[in-house]
Amino acid sequence: MAPPRVGGGSAVGDFTVIPLRFSNRSRASRHLFVKLHRVRDTADRSRPQDRTLFVLNLPPYISQECVHRLFSQCGSVTSVELQEKPGPSDKSETQKSKFFSGRSVQGFRVAYVVFKSSAGVKAAVSSKPREPWVLSTSERPVKTGLQKWIQDYSSRIIDAGELQTEIDQFMKQHDQKVAEMEALEEAEDGVPDEDGWVKVTRKGRRPGIPRTEAGNLRLIQREKRKRAQKELLNFYSWQHRETKREHIAQLRKKFEEDKQKIALLRAERKFKPF
Amino acid sequence: MKRKSPETDLHVAEQQDLEKIQDAGNNSDDGEKDEEIEKPGKRRNVMKKKQTTDAGVIGAVKLSKRELYKPPTNEELNQLKETENLFHSTLLRMQIEELLKEVKLKEKKRKAIDTFLHEVKNFLSNIPETKQVDVTDQSWLSKGVKVPFLQMPYNIKGKFHFLPPASVKVIGSYLLGTCIKPEINVDVAVTMPAEILQAKDNLNQRYLRKRALYLAHIAYHLSKNKLFGCVKFGYFSSNHLKPILYLSPQGKDEKLVTVRLHPCAPASFFKLSRFHPSKNNVRVSWFLEQESAQGENDEPPTPHYNNTILIDLVMEKHLHFLFNAATDFPGMKDGIGILKVWLHQRELSRGYGCFSGFLASMLVAYLLSKRKLNKMMSGYQVLRNVLQFLAVTDLTQNGISLFQDTDDSVPSLQDFHEAFEVVFVDPSGFVNLCAEMTTSKYKQIQYEAQKSMEILDNKTVDGFEVLLMTRKPLLQTFDHVFHLKNLVKLQEGCKKMKLLNDLIDHGGNYIVTILPHLLSLLTRGLGQRIHLLTHSLLQTSEWPINADPPKHKDSRCLSFGVLLNPAFSANVLEKGPLADSPEAAEFRDFWGENSELRRFQDGSICEAVLWQGDNMCDCRLIPGQIIKHLLQLHVDLPKSSLCYVGGLLDSVIEVEKGHAGSEEKTISVVQSYDDLSRKLWNLSGLPLNVTSVQGIHPVFRFTEVFPPVPVKPDFSFYMKAKNTKCLLPSSDKPCSVYVPALKVICHMEGSGKWPQNKDAIQHVKAAFHIRLADLLHQQHQLTSQPSTTHVDVYKDGYVFRVQVGYHREPLILKEIQTPDGMLKYRDTEESLQLELETIHLPYLTSTLHGLQQQHSAYSGTCRLAKRWVSAQLLSNHIGEESIDLLAAYLFTQPAPYSPPASPQTGFLRFLNLLSTFDWKNNPLIVNLNGDIKETEYAEIKNDFVATRTQHPVMFIATPNDRKSSIWTKGRPSAPILHRLAELASQSLRTLERQLMDPLDNHDLKMVFRPPLDIYDVIIHLNPRHIPRYSEAVDRPKVTYNRGTLRDDAAVKFLKMPVVDHDPVQCYLRELRSSFGEFALFFYDTHGGSLIAVLWKPQAFTPQPFKTSHINAKMLETKENGLQIIPNVEAIMEDFEILGAGLVKSVKALTEKWKI
Repeated sequence: MAPPRVGGGSAVGDFTVIPLRFSNRSRASRHLFVKLHRVRDTADRSRPQDRTLFVLNLPPYISQECVHRLFSQCGSVTSVELQEKPGPSDKSETQKSKFFSGRSVQGFRVAYVVFKSSAGVKAAVSSKPREPWVLSTSERPVKTGLQKWIQDYSSRIIDAGELQTEIDQFMKQHDQKVAEMEALEEAEDGVPDEDGWVKVTRKGRRPGIPRTEAGNLRLIQREKRKRAQKELLNFYSWQHRETKREHIAQLRKKFEEDKQKIALLRAERKFKPF
Repeated sequence: MKRKSPETDLHVAEQQDLEKIQDAGNNSDDGEKDEEIEKPGKRRNVMKKKQTTDAGVIGAVKLSKRELYKPPTNEELNQLKETENLFHSTLLRMQIEELLKEVKLKEKKRKAIDTFLHEVKNFLSNIPETKQVDVTDQSWLSKGVKVPFLQMPYNIKGKFHFLPPASVKVIGSYLLGTCIKPEINVDVAVTMPAEILQAKDNLNQRYLRKRALYLAHIAYHLSKNKLFGCVKFGYFSSNHLKPILYLSPQGKDEKLVTVRLHPCAPASFFKLSRFHPSKNNVRVSWFLEQESAQGENDEPPTPHYNNTILIDLVMEKHLHFLFNAATDFPGMKDGIGILKVWLHQRELSRGYGCFSGFLASMLVAYLLSKRKLNKMMSGYQVLRNVLQFLAVTDLTQNGISLFQDTDDSVPSLQDFHEAFEVVFVDPSGFVNLCAEMTTSKYKQIQYEAQKSMEILDNKTVDGFEVLLMTRKPLLQTFDHVFHLKNLVKLQEGCKKMKLLNDLIDHGGNYIVTILPHLLSLLTRGLGQRIHLLTHSLLQTSEWPINADPPKHKDSRCLSFGVLLNPAFSANVLEKGPLADSPEAAEFRDFWGENSELRRFQDGSICEAVLWQGDNMCDCRLIPGQIIKHLLQLHVDLPKSSLCYVGGLLDSVIEVEKGHAGSEEKTISVVQSYDDLSRKLWNLSGLPLNVTSVQGIHPVFRFTEVFPPVPVKPDFSFYMKAKNTKCLLPSSDKPCSVYVPALKVICHMEGSGKWPQNKDAIQHVKAAFHIRLADLLHQQHQLTSQPSTTHVDVYKDGYVFRVQVGYHREPLILKEIQTPDGMLKYRDTEESLQLELETIHLPYLTSTLHGLQQQHSAYSGTCRLAKRWVSAQLLSNHIGEESIDLLAAYLFTQPAPYSPPASPQTGFLRFLNLLSTFDWKNNPLIVNLNGDIKETEYAEIKNDFVATRTQHPVMFIATPNDRKSSIWTKGRPSAPILHRLAELASQSLRTLERQLMDPLDNHDLKMVFRPPLDIYDVIIHLNPRHIPRYSEAVDRPKVTYNRGTLRDDAAVKFLKMPVVDHDPVQCYLRELRSSFGEFALFFYDTHGGSLIAVLWKPQAFTPQPFKTSHINAKMLETKENGLQIIPNVEAIMEDFEILGAGLVKSVKALTEKWKI
């Protein structure tokens, strides 16, 4: 089937459709949707507005290297970023280690492809390939299925020594940070600010109790109990009357509830024993 | 509706379910709905069926303040007080009222019945007389009717002629107002005129034959009349000596009523003392058709025969007696009505030797005469008192009598006890109302009464529901069931046991003759092994009047139920008396050749019988071996005519018939784990101490369907990893054997050294894993492989996955600091997951392990249940722990049964629970360890009702988790639960039919084979790469080399086998994460060779272009512009691409996606 060319201004937006095939033998073609990356926030350095291509609907078995190779047809590519959903890059945090980097994304993904020059983007957006692009070639097969799982399994086996060194490094940094924090707390303790308020920290001479939600609740409960103890039960005759009234009201309520249950069961024909 | 066959039925059910499942698909994408563009006519009809909003859910009652606090009237106060005192609760009172309304006869119908009875009466008096002939000359009877009596032997003296009845009277429950639906029977006594009878008619069945002839003549004339819709013969409580006539009106009233005509003799015709239980009324010589030489005094007594005739003589008297008792006693009517329901639910009220409604009425009258009841009591109190009486009174030892006077001619209770097994004498003093009942049957009634009293006193169960509304079929009530087929063989048995006299007494019915003897034989043989042995009641159905009466051999089979005593039932050895003691010979006679001399540890030499049983599974069936042996030895009953139903389902949860069953395998895993945990505790060189070691894998709670077996990998089969001792799977060989990772949580002590930051904790835990691996290798030479989240330890052929835990970690994950500096704790997904693994799962595992120690059938029950769920392809759609808890519920709350003692019974009850439990309105409370108190039950229920909508569809409360049902969050979804219930009820019906019918050779695995035609796509897998292929329900013929060595193979050094690697699971994970929005995937975890796919219809409606919903879709031009639709062709191809090597073929069954 011939993929329809989608022009700007239609309901679809300014996406171009690039057909894609898994291999030469495969029959079905998939559609990649590409457009120029454009967002209001221009602060992101890693995705320069005029050189970045936004790609949608990348099948699960495609890899970063694969995307790189495919889009090199339009111009030289400098970086490729694969994500589960469109949005700002999540790698902006500290560079994650190879051991502690959560689970990898599975399923369909989106990509931000940065070209060396804006010509690459234009070429991609205006491309009208006669033949669908082919993902897995005989020179560069894409590993799926059994082979991929075996690869995954092997990659999960790690070298204990390497891991240990990384842990040591991390803990060293961590300890340092904690020590700094503590030093800061200690320094702040008892020093009045401009308005004369004094901050109490846990490291001070008289450490404050940490304020927690549970603690607050406990306090309120204790107050309530104290108040209840002071009260006299069934002391005045009106109190006595009240309790009686309350008892009957409870019975009535139970009765009504039961009636409702019965009505429901009757409606469901639950009383036919056989 | 008639059922065609179970298979078609299953399919119908599935078809309905399918729509529900697809419906759920609709609802999951609610966000999209507003943007949908309406396209009339194009939308699929499934879409129209939106889920109805919470119909049938009990909400919290809201009464206005004024309603609640208005001043009470006197009447209201009385009513409230009455319910408090007389009943347990208002609910029970109302429930019973509703039940009685349902079963009682309506006044309107009564009128119709009265007119009908009137017509019958008129008609009977107009039947013409006949001439007098010999009894044996039956040529006068017209051709259209056969005598409803087995005339064996045929010859008898005496004359017979027909005269219209002397009187026609309605007797029994109809007049008392105690007859209940659905079968309204009106008993009518037709008194034969005295002229027909002769003086010695009491002898040799002559009265009974005249009775039958009389009935035949009436039947012939009635059948010619258009007034009657159906005229049939039947036996009165299946006693073949007492034929009666069934009449029902013509036309639409046919189902309304059945009138039963009982011909009888005038009450004063025979002297009652002629039928004293020690007297003979059937001569041996006549019965054997020999010339006799015996004098009258040598003749054996015929108590059962006498009793049969006596009942005819006192019918009217009984009616008057009951009538007197029932006047001014409204509670009696209700009480008998409820009792009848109670008996009916327990299959006790019909058949030969049943506890009939009449007997129940007599018992109530007896209790009234003994002042155990008074006329002010309500129906519920009558029920309670009768049950209490039955529970504590043993009528087989101490009979009771309604006879008031003292009279020497009347037989004493002692006389009755000698002649009958159960004794309850009527007001006349001559009739035993329980003559046909066997001891076993009475014991069963007693047991039921005891159980019921327990239930009524237990406030945690809905007594009404389990006592009166729940059917208790033999198969679910008893642990083992066996059937005797080829009942003709019992005739030989009678000869072998020398029961001629009894046979004469029972008029030649060898089945009922031998039954009490069979029962006492088996009871003795099984001894301590059982609590109870009982039998089904023999029933004969009605037959048309132009057919011969059914013969004894026409009875299909006799079923027996055994309630096991799990403490002894599986004993391999039956120890007998000392070899030189006098009892030894008797013991040898009883057990035959199986008895041999054995020397015991204390030096004694005893007779003993040793039964075969290699593993727990076989040992459970030892009662079966005993029964087979005894029946063959003493009754000459061949093994082929015994069908023992006890472990027929075992084959689906045992991989191969071998020395060690699954339970033994589990035990050996647990032993290895215990050793590991000891080693972990004692490791020296760890910076912190170990505070607890807890296994969380199902095998540690005995619920793993196929527990792991020790594995020794064949190194040449694998690839090797660089620098480590790990083996890697290789792609060109069949998938290696599946080695599960048995998760163990190892908590380290708390210390100020633990960091208080989640990343840092991760790192410290990883460091612990590395250290554990090192120390285990150094101190215990165990091969282990650390990673960031766990350390795998290879020990005794199993792989344990040890995970270090820190008790404050969930708390740290929950911590949030508000801007004003307050610490709050809020559940996050991560913290919940961690709590589940490190707190709840260890607790569950240890309590269920404890449950298994108490009830040895728990493991088998749970494993069968899991196997079934998995076989229905639903294992991923319901949490494993939920099934564990459902199975545990059967043991902690067995009412109205006892806890199951065999996996088969447990499994049947599991199916029953799944198909009948009302999840909408009730929480399932699993009282593990009995930690939930009676008062707390109400609390849990109220909480649940008040917040029903926030909870998952399936709500399971446990002592540690009363308000949130952690195990059922997310799954199962409503449609899956509905489907499970539907499948369970179909499977239960099929299984019950198969197990209760011994004659055909059934394929019991049928309920473990899922129907596939509801699915849209089937992905067939290559068995080479399914590591658990050998666990499939139908054992595969081909086996693959999966890279293991034999147990005894010598290995120089150890390498870590491939752990937890199942390509199919990898494949499913990828499928679900990629195509979860389009389809549901179903797979049998235990060796399934196909994956079933069901499209979600919602995903297939064309939608406008949107970047967030573009995955796996393509553009298409529709009438309203460009739309996106799923690229099904590509998706199907992706199924193949993602599973390259594993997938054999992808087949589309339907073309549903064509929009």
